[in-house]
Amino acid sequence: MTGLAPILLVEDNPKDLELTLEALERSQLANQVVTARDGAEALAWLLREGEHEQRPGGDPAVVLLDLKLPKIDGLEVLERIKKDESLRHVPVVMLTASREERDLIRSYALGVNAFVVKPVAFDQFFKAIQELGMFWAILNEPHPPRPRGQPMTVIKA
Amino acid sequence: MSVNVSVRLGRSGSEVLGLPISALLGESVAHRLAAVLPLVPETVRQLGVLDVGGGPWAGVVHSADGLLILELEEVGRNESGSADRVYPELQPVVQELEAAVDAADVSAIVAREVRRISGFDRVLIYRFDEVWNGTVIAEARNERLPSYLDLRFPASDVPAQARELYRLNRLRLIPNAAYDPVPLLPSDNPLTGRPLDLSLSTLRSVSPVHVEYMKNMETPASMSISIVQDGRLWGLISCHHAEPRHVSPNIRVTCDFLGQIAAMQLGAKVRMAEAAQRVERQAIQARLLTHMAAVERFTDGLADQPEDLLALTQAAGAAIVTEETIYRVGTTPSEGTIRNLIGWLDEAQPHDEVFATEALGTVYTGADDLVATGSGVIAISISQIHRSYILWFRPEVERTVRWGGDPRKPVSGGSNDLRLHPRKSFETWKETVRLHAAPWSDAEVAAAASLRSAIISIVMRRAEELAELTQELQRSNKELEAFSYSVSHDLRAPFRHIVGYAELLKSTAGDTLDVRSHRYVETIIESALSAGKLVDDLLSFSQMGRTTLMPMGVDMNRLLDEVLRMLRPEMEGRQIAWTISRELAPAWGDPSMLRQVVQNLLSNALKYTRGEDGVRISVWSEQRPKETVYRVSDNGVGFEMAYVDKLFGVFQRLHRIEEFEGTGIGLANVRRIVERHGGWVHAEGAVGQGAVFSFGLPVRPGTEA
Repeated sequence: MTGLAPILLVEDNPKDLELTLEALERSQLANQVVTARDGAEALAWLLREGEHEQRPGGDPAVVLLDLKLPKIDGLEVLERIKKDESLRHVPVVMLTASREERDLIRSYALGVNAFVVKPVAFDQFFKAIQELGMFWAILNEPHPPRPRGQPMTVIKA
Repeated sequence: MSVNVSVRLGRSGSEVLGLPISALLGESVAHRLAAVLPLVPETVRQLGVLDVGGGPWAGVVHSADGLLILELEEVGRNESGSADRVYPELQPVVQELEAAVDAADVSAIVAREVRRISGFDRVLIYRFDEVWNGTVIAEARNERLPSYLDLRFPASDVPAQARELYRLNRLRLIPNAAYDPVPLLPSDNPLTGRPLDLSLSTLRSVSPVHVEYMKNMETPASMSISIVQDGRLWGLISCHHAEPRHVSPNIRVTCDFLGQIAAMQLGAKVRMAEAAQRVERQAIQARLLTHMAAVERFTDGLADQPEDLLALTQAAGAAIVTEETIYRVGTTPSEGTIRNLIGWLDEAQPHDEVFATEALGTVYTGADDLVATGSGVIAISISQIHRSYILWFRPEVERTVRWGGDPRKPVSGGSNDLRLHPRKSFETWKETVRLHAAPWSDAEVAAAASLRSAIISIVMRRAEELAELTQELQRSNKELEAFSYSVSHDLRAPFRHIVGYAELLKSTAGDTLDVRSHRYVETIIESALSAGKLVDDLLSFSQMGRTTLMPMGVDMNRLLDEVLRMLRPEMEGRQIAWTISRELAPAWGDPSMLRQVVQNLLSNALKYTRGEDGVRISVWSEQRPKETVYRVSDNGVGFEMAYVDKLFGVFQRLHRIEEFEGTGIGLANVRRIVERHGGWVHAEGAVGQGAVFSFGLPVRPGTEA
């Protein structure tokens, strides 16, 4: 445990998950990354429900939320977070595969903190993730980046 | 007994009164009387020629006030007609009447034949309308008496009582209006103590009014025969002579017979004409419907068929009124007058019924301007939502009358001052029909109603079709949207993964890869990137067709600045001579969409001038009254005008991909955006000389100069 608030990454697609984790890894963030594979899992972890009732740690530094998710989709997760008294301060960044306008409008209406369309080009994607991580995770909990060579800890929600 | 009976028989009145008929007129007359007695009560019976005192007399008998009234009229020996003399006279006439085509034809034949048989100077056929005004519809005459053809006379000329009399007693003769009346003896009916009812009498005196009328017409002799059809007085055969004239009973009977044949023929012709009209009206309506159904706006279909539209209701004019336009046919009031009338109809009349009047002035106060053209109006409302009407007009009827004795023309002589005269009748008639048009028949009103329901069903069907189409469109639009939504999410992902993993491969195994393998990886990345770009472009193109326009005033100078800033990377290291008008006209449109247009055109200009020397790119605008035009020109590679039509199509490329990159969607997007704004795009170019791209946008609605 680094004492830093973790990043909650909600992503159902295993390839996207791997690529995003890789990008986060390369960003050299010290935060722990908690992964959830659908909206229900993400909410359970956030709200400490079910098997997560006793989970250690506080709220995440940022939630990186895919829009299309099984069970409970990203927009609904966003809505639940932003309507929950204890969670609404948690920054949520929508990471989505498309630039559909209505998703954008809906997300901002629900109080999303940022909306990022995953670029096809990896260098751009990498840059986007890095900037996101820097901004949300570091500015929220200023902490020097962890030294190179130390593996990022990733746990499953 | 009339006083002249005793004179003829050479006996005094007191001698005659009280005698039995047999003693007075002989046994044979008494027998004839006894034979017809059971038939007498209701009607007038002809007894034929009787032998009275050695001479031929025509006898007529009827009953009144409980008495039997026998009238005897002396006939000349050679006048004593019988069926075998009448038949040859009438047989060809009857045939001719059978062949007659219509009521006018029948009337003309009857007038001519009655005149031929009776020898009167003038024979008129009067016809009564529904409210008992009369019209002279046929005439046969010589030059001794003036023409009264087309004369109108008011119902008051032949009051109800007289009409009833004419109906029951079909024939009246006044041989000489200057006759001396013969008194009755006794003067009162001994049974009632009151004057005898001589209504059905043939030889009775006529009213002094009638005598005066005849005197004023300068026709001392007259005969009138009623035309009774289905028990209703249809009209009169009215005969006049410039001199006193007696017509023998057998000729009168012949004329009466002609009148009855005429009545039957008229009935048949009228019914035939009605049937023919019904058929014709149906044909007209069918034609109108066909035309209405064939065009987009049914009103155009009606306007295409002005003759049928008028014929449907026998109108002189018609108007098709919609919110925007008034289409007029025939003789109609002015557009403004029609608009006012429509306003009133819309306010004051039910919309789901036919409005029909022959005297608009009696219901509508603004009718003054309409008298001449629209005293008669039929109106049908053809939309619940809009003020859409079809109107038919008829002029004031007086204006349609052409009478030879038209009192509007100055006349010589003092006949205008006479109290009783056809001219006065005409005047009176004019008063009664003033502001009236010829009435609409039930069939004509029904035709309008039927057209209305036909139109409404057409409109409803259209609306249903439209609703269905809209629904279908909505459905397919939804499907398309769902499709493109899922494409945008799912199709981009694999390309992203390819690029991502290829990049990872490059970074983890980069050192161990030989040059060729390295190129392979680069190509994989490049291909996946361009596929991803294609998906993005396609999606934005499809989005462009779906998203709602949010038009507003757009400062094009600012928009251009933003675009140029965005394109800065593409200009890096290049020498470009820009000529940009600092006073670009403002546009009316969706700013984010317009930005795409400008960005596309400028980025094309940059792309197709790449690698050239002395690159010049210009942007300018032109404000026109109804549109704003923007142009972007460059002096790049240009294109062949032969391919100009392909330029704006999706996936249309005029250059090989290795010459100029791109997905072939940019200009298609430009066109789609501009056309969604109601504008146009245009391109001009020549190979090696550059190109000019223009687009025009309509100015803000309502601000057209």
